[in-house]
Amino acid sequence: MAMASETCFHCALPVPAGCHLTVDIEDEARPVCCPGCKAVAELIRDTGMSRYYELRDLPDPGVGRPPEEAAEWSVFDSADMLDAFTQPDGDSREATIYVGGMYCSACSWLIETTLGKQPGISSAEVNPITHRLRLRFPRDGAKLSSYLATLANLGYQPQPLSPENATRPEVTEQRSALKRLLVASLGMMQVMMFAVGLYAMDFQGIDPEMQHFLRLVSFFVTTPVVFYAARPFFTSAWRGVAGRKPGMDLPVSIAVGAAYVASIYATFTRGPAVWFDSVTMFVFFLTLGRYLEMRARHRSIDRSTALTSLLPNTATRIEGDTRTVVPVSQLAANDTVLIRAGEPIPADGQLLSGKTSVDEALLTGEARPQPRSPGDQLSAGSINLDGMIEMTVTKTGGDTTLGTISRLSERARYARPAFVTLADKIASYIVVALLFVATMVATYWYFADPDRAFVITLSVLVVTCPCALALATPAAFAAAGSRLSQLRLLVTNGNAIESLSCATLAMFDKTGTLTKGSPSISAVFVTDNAFSEKDCRVIAAALESASTHPLAHAFALQGPLPAVSSPEVIIGQGVSGIIDGREWRIGNAKFAGGGFATDDGAATHVFLGVDGNAVAWFELKDELRDDAYRTLESLRGLGLGTALVSGDNRVAVNNVAEALAISDTHFECTPEDKLAIIEDAQQRGEQVVMIGDGINDAPVLAGADTSIAPAHGALLAQTSADVIMLGDSLTPLTTAIEMSRKTMRIVRQNLAWAIVYNALALPLAAAGFVPPWLAAIGMSASSLVVVLNALRLNRFE
Amino acid sequence: MSILYILIPLALLLLGFAVWAFFWAVGSGQFDDLDTPAIRVVMDDDTKPDEEEKQ
Repeated sequence: MAMASETCFHCALPVPAGCHLTVDIEDEARPVCCPGCKAVAELIRDTGMSRYYELRDLPDPGVGRPPEEAAEWSVFDSADMLDAFTQPDGDSREATIYVGGMYCSACSWLIETTLGKQPGISSAEVNPITHRLRLRFPRDGAKLSSYLATLANLGYQPQPLSPENATRPEVTEQRSALKRLLVASLGMMQVMMFAVGLYAMDFQGIDPEMQHFLRLVSFFVTTPVVFYAARPFFTSAWRGVAGRKPGMDLPVSIAVGAAYVASIYATFTRGPAVWFDSVTMFVFFLTLGRYLEMRARHRSIDRSTALTSLLPNTATRIEGDTRTVVPVSQLAANDTVLIRAGEPIPADGQLLSGKTSVDEALLTGEARPQPRSPGDQLSAGSINLDGMIEMTVTKTGGDTTLGTISRLSERARYARPAFVTLADKIASYIVVALLFVATMVATYWYFADPDRAFVITLSVLVVTCPCALALATPAAFAAAGSRLSQLRLLVTNGNAIESLSCATLAMFDKTGTLTKGSPSISAVFVTDNAFSEKDCRVIAAALESASTHPLAHAFALQGPLPAVSSPEVIIGQGVSGIIDGREWRIGNAKFAGGGFATDDGAATHVFLGVDGNAVAWFELKDELRDDAYRTLESLRGLGLGTALVSGDNRVAVNNVAEALAISDTHFECTPEDKLAIIEDAQQRGEQVVMIGDGINDAPVLAGADTSIAPAHGALLAQTSADVIMLGDSLTPLTTAIEMSRKTMRIVRQNLAWAIVYNALALPLAAAGFVPPWLAAIGMSASSLVVVLNALRLNRFE
Repeated sequence: MSILYILIPLALLLLGFAVWAFFWAVGSGQFDDLDTPAIRVVMDDDTKPDEEEKQ
């Protein structure tokens, strides 16, 4: 069976066979994969937004596809909910909404323009980095639900945020960093201007009153620069001293503080020179460097919010006989909630009544439905598949398993790589050495030429500030991380870049990594000649549409399906239903009717029978990813070995290995076997990159030198993976290897530059050849060279 | 040169105003998103005026 070659114009999923839906956009009929996508595309066209399709980046397949059932938004119009999710402001209300499913700037344009046309909305602003929409609408008469429905109709998943969740720490950090940068830069410009006057007057003779006035004004302007813009340096230096780990902020603080105090002293005693210009310039360049580093850090995608968007917005709480719909944030332990079939579970809890099976693929990667009976545990974020259940809440929000996982991955993201920590440690030794050298220089000059002792010591402190050394590695890593996230790779562990750069062996898991992970029908064998292949497929599709089993998706067909009366899902068996008066069954061989002879073990089989007689069986296969061969070839081109380890049987593994020209294969491996294979390779001196979706093998990922997990895999695996591949393609792997090698090259260049600079500058300054203002320029320039060199990584293709 | 005694304080006054204005702009969120505004100008509705009337 050839699979459809066309992809959906809206969501980029393959168009299923037999689906002939199209949408006319820009006078051309475009194929779409489902009625939902058709509706979204028509809505976009009819509101005059067709340019969205030109402007956007191509989405991950499936992103933007609307859910099959419209969510219930009207609960958000009640006064309680409006108070919980919006902030009143004069005559209007402001709501912050997390918009799931947006992936490029064109999305934010589409959202802003479409909402802007809605009656009542006075402003709609989307931040494409944090995926947050800020909406202002009149206090009376406006319906939040209609705006949410509009977003949902466009194919996004809106989630109103309560005000305390609306501001992110990044925003606060960015705002104060910007303010500090501005104060430092304006202060520097002003003080430099006065300094030019002072220097010029030195040569031309000066009116002492004017000199005093200019110094006073410089003092006045420098004060906020020191106490406001440079405050982070002082606090961090103090933390370093208190923790007995002096960082590079210590000499910075000493230099700034000493120069400031000495200049004040010189101003009021009418001494020979002031250094306000050096102080402000020094602070400005340092603040600029920190600001650039912070922006690079913030650019990585906000994953934690993406995780909470897996939870539903509302839950149905049962109190006595009444059922009320409440926002999930208002749930508390010991509440009883009702969950209908197909709904996500809003919190961790215990099943109270009802029998069901849940899909925990998100948490554990286990795609098969897990049966649950009263008393069993349920995890937030998993999906209730079969029955209506009641649950007692035990944990909510950040305490749930899902919350813990997202916190873990968050922490991993902010953890500093060992490499950087080492650089920091070295820097702290250098700082102590520098302070010692500065004292020696001061002592020497105090006896040789006491007038110049202070100036020279100041220059030594400023010029040798190990900023460049300390920035060399983190700046490169931050730039690489930000570029990689644009290239759809999320680095959660900074060490990964270093270990990737020296990788020698790429080891792949099979299912879901090299293959697509979701089976599709590869062959249909009809055993009863009364039916054609097409009949069988249509009947199977009709029956399976009643089921939420993962395999059921493989049968989905578009177009008219025969009506099924009294469909019944028998857990672990299959689906039965009555079509045209005959009882059809689809599922395992015994359930469908027996009399089937098959099995070579390489594929999954699903059987169809009518009134107890066999009719047909379907072979389901997991196809290779389109770019698997290309990616493996280019990895081999980069000098890496390739290997395949899988828990699957010999036939299936060998088929894949042959298709991809992998000679090193291991089949029927337990996670322990896989770990042993990795350790064996490491003993041989290989640096192993393990690429797997981590279903049941999170420890295997942890055992490799570097681990890479696709984003659609198990969340648990992602917490132990060093790099997460977003999107549904393997190509980023090659990019990751090339990028990591380039990054390490830049780190080495940076370190070499910083060491050479310090080795040259220190003797010159100690000998008294460098005035403080030149020292400040030299130090800042050396740091900027390092940062700019690192930023070259941003242009990596 | 004594004009400087007036001009410099005046410049500082303007400076203070600039800092105040910038702080206000940052506080009201105008600098939170430094990426979209750059592309927003090149994006436009593709509906021509006459089409809009038809709808």
